[in-house]
Amino acid sequence: MNELIPLMVIVPMMAALLLSAFSKFNKVIKCLALVVGICLPIIPLASNYGLHFFGGYQPIMDNVTNVIYHPAITYSFDFMQQIFIAMIGLLTFLVIFIYLTKYKKASGSYLFLLFMGTAAVTALILTDDIFHMFVFFEILALAQVGIVAASSIDYSYEMALKYMILGAIGSPMMLLGIGFLLAMTGTVNVTDIVSIIRGGLLDVTSPVFLLSLGLIFFGWLYASGLPPFHTIKSGIYSKAEPHGAALLQSFTVISMISIVLIMFRIYSTLPIFEVLVVFFSVVAMILGVSMALTQTDFRRMIGFLAVGELGFIGLGIGLGTQYALTAGLFQALNEIVITALLFIGFGAIVHATNEVDTRKLGGLLAYHPKVGIMLLAGGLAMAGVPPLSGFQSKLMLVQASLSCGYPELSILAIMVSIATFVVFVKTFYSMFLSPKPHDLEVVDNEVPKAMVFAMAVLLIVIIALGIFPDVVTSGISNYVGGLLP
Amino acid sequence: MRLYDQIFNVVKKFKELFSPGPVTNADVSGSITAEIFIIVSIVIASLLLRHVSILLAGLVTLILAIVLITNIPLIPKFKLEQEDSLEKMLFYAVLVLGLIVIFLYWGGNIV
Repeated sequence: MNELIPLMVIVPMMAALLLSAFSKFNKVIKCLALVVGICLPIIPLASNYGLHFFGGYQPIMDNVTNVIYHPAITYSFDFMQQIFIAMIGLLTFLVIFIYLTKYKKASGSYLFLLFMGTAAVTALILTDDIFHMFVFFEILALAQVGIVAASSIDYSYEMALKYMILGAIGSPMMLLGIGFLLAMTGTVNVTDIVSIIRGGLLDVTSPVFLLSLGLIFFGWLYASGLPPFHTIKSGIYSKAEPHGAALLQSFTVISMISIVLIMFRIYSTLPIFEVLVVFFSVVAMILGVSMALTQTDFRRMIGFLAVGELGFIGLGIGLGTQYALTAGLFQALNEIVITALLFIGFGAIVHATNEVDTRKLGGLLAYHPKVGIMLLAGGLAMAGVPPLSGFQSKLMLVQASLSCGYPELSILAIMVSIATFVVFVKTFYSMFLSPKPHDLEVVDNEVPKAMVFAMAVLLIVIIALGIFPDVVTSGISNYVGGLLP
Repeated sequence: MRLYDQIFNVVKKFKELFSPGPVTNADVSGSITAEIFIIVSIVIASLLLRHVSILLAGLVTLILAIVLITNIPLIPKFKLEQEDSLEKMLFYAVLVLGLIVIFLYWGGNIV
């Protein structure tokens, strides 16, 4: 059943093109979007693990050196890819469901962007080809710009344009780095590059190799929204529609782990790679959470918190042991679900009040108890409160940094979790528990049922992963074991 | 008393931080938490330098602690540098690119 592997990218991409082409037929595109949305999480769960070689070009064995070369663009599908693609599929379905129930007239172009983004991140996590990775990284960046620009929130165009301009610095640098790597190794297949490096055929201390790391690393900072791109990343989350922001943050997390795992395989022989990843992760944690503490716009606050949480993922990857990498990837999976829940929940509050300033809100628990309780659970999960999923991954990260001999990083991780808790308690109190301001009008007493449904589904996933983390961590740990030299 | 006055001035400075609208107790306590968090976390992070040299770690931690505490309030300064201005974002992006390339090109094979 390996034929299903390319379908994980082709299905959302074809759906995107068809939705755009038939955008005039409202009912047709609504039905198509819903059907494809349902299929997206099912395809990866139904597929077997394995490799797919595009064009049918099988690997070639060099009889002299006994090295295997991969002439085709290769997709590699394992447990890690399966769980992340299924999760992104589930999230895409929920976002499409919210969108279709919110608007009577669906926009084919907007649905095109949502599906194209999903196709791009799926390709990013599957690919074993560094140039293929870059192509989908670019498509993803454009889809993200489109999702932000399509939002009806003030200044969304401006923020989308700024993100595109910054991308004009990040993307060419990454391409230049890939070019240097191709020039030195003669291949863009990651497995081939790794075997050339491990075979000692390439001088890893060569300035060109180091420069390629620097340039690809900079492109990765842009893709993942780590400093110096944390401001623009939190900005685009706050200017996108809430359901769009839920999907955007998952795109960011998946592109972050996809690119960093490729870099890890190529550059892990250089200790400086891990130093760089840990350094930028620590800066992201400190800046993200400290900026979140001072925000009064709750969409921006969640944006900064999401950036801070990315630091935890980077910390796991940067520590570089099997346990730490597993913890980092588990944290990534948790962040996708938890942050999506928070964006959708706060989106429901915007829908009900037309207000984003926490100072002008209050007493909402009486109006929206279900949303309030689910948001509280999501916030506690993000802060790492047991027995929710965030607790398990953060505990693993703290243990990993202790066992690597970096107690400072453990202390920092705990401090950031406490500060995240403070941010959330402060915001929850202002919005839900403090007395309702006299001038606050709760415009729409009913929160869309689709939003409540999406939050409930995500909350079930959070609780399930919190109680049974082994379901995911053992599979991820096996996958990570295969990556390490 | 000097430190107390300094902290009191920080609270006054926070008022300018928030856009038009009431400044609530929750906002001020959030900002003070951020202030303390940023100082403590930078000082703790600087302890990681002990893996390079213990003396360097001691010196940098001490200097950073003094510089950070004598320069409070830090959050308004941090917030000013991380606003949505394209010029500032571009400046920091180019600065970081330059630093990464310099650090790797000249120091990549040392660490």
